Amino acid sequence: MKHVWKLGTIITTLVVLWLALLTSSGLPSTLSAIVPYLPIYAVVALGCYGLAMVGYGLMVFPTCPTEAIQLQQDIAEAKVFLASHGIDVNHSSD
Amino acid sequence: MDLADRTVGFVLLLFSISLFSYYTFWVIITPFVDSDHFFPAREYAIFIPALAGVTLLSLIMIFVGVVLLLLRSGKSKSKTA
Repeated sequence: MKHVWKLGTIITTLVVLWLALLTSSGLPSTLSAIVPYLPIYAVVALGCYGLAMVGYGLMVFPTCPTEAIQLQQDIAEAKVFLASHGIDVNHSSD
Repeated sequence: MDLADRTVGFVLLLFSISLFSYYTFWVIITPFVDSDHFFPAREYAIFIPALAGVTLLSLIMIFVGVVLLLLRSGKSKSKTA
């Protein structure tokens, strides 16, 4: 099954569950105060989770300084090679 | 550069965690406690995220529309030129 159909099925199930909870009458007052706010709460929680994942990824992303230096050397080498073979390496193409 | 990225990441993490806990407390716990003076009225808990979402969607669509219009006017200009 494609991922979008899987996602749609899960979301539809959750929405139907929420609607059932919303329209049911035999609910303790503790739950019935929270149920109307659940969708917006889920959206805000998803946004916070995304932001947290981005922040965490930024924190643990490895920068590989030795590879960066090696890449600069490779670029310089390639520029010299191409320039010696007549290819213009300083102007960008449109 | 590395340290700047790490601090930005840490700030984002802290901000998202605090936002999540504040919002959780606001929506779920305030109906059950009496001293809710630190939180605004519970109706705003729906209004503010909805407003933010609508604003975000509008900005995205405006951006897409502007880019499409510029692309079209650029293409017609290059055809007549």
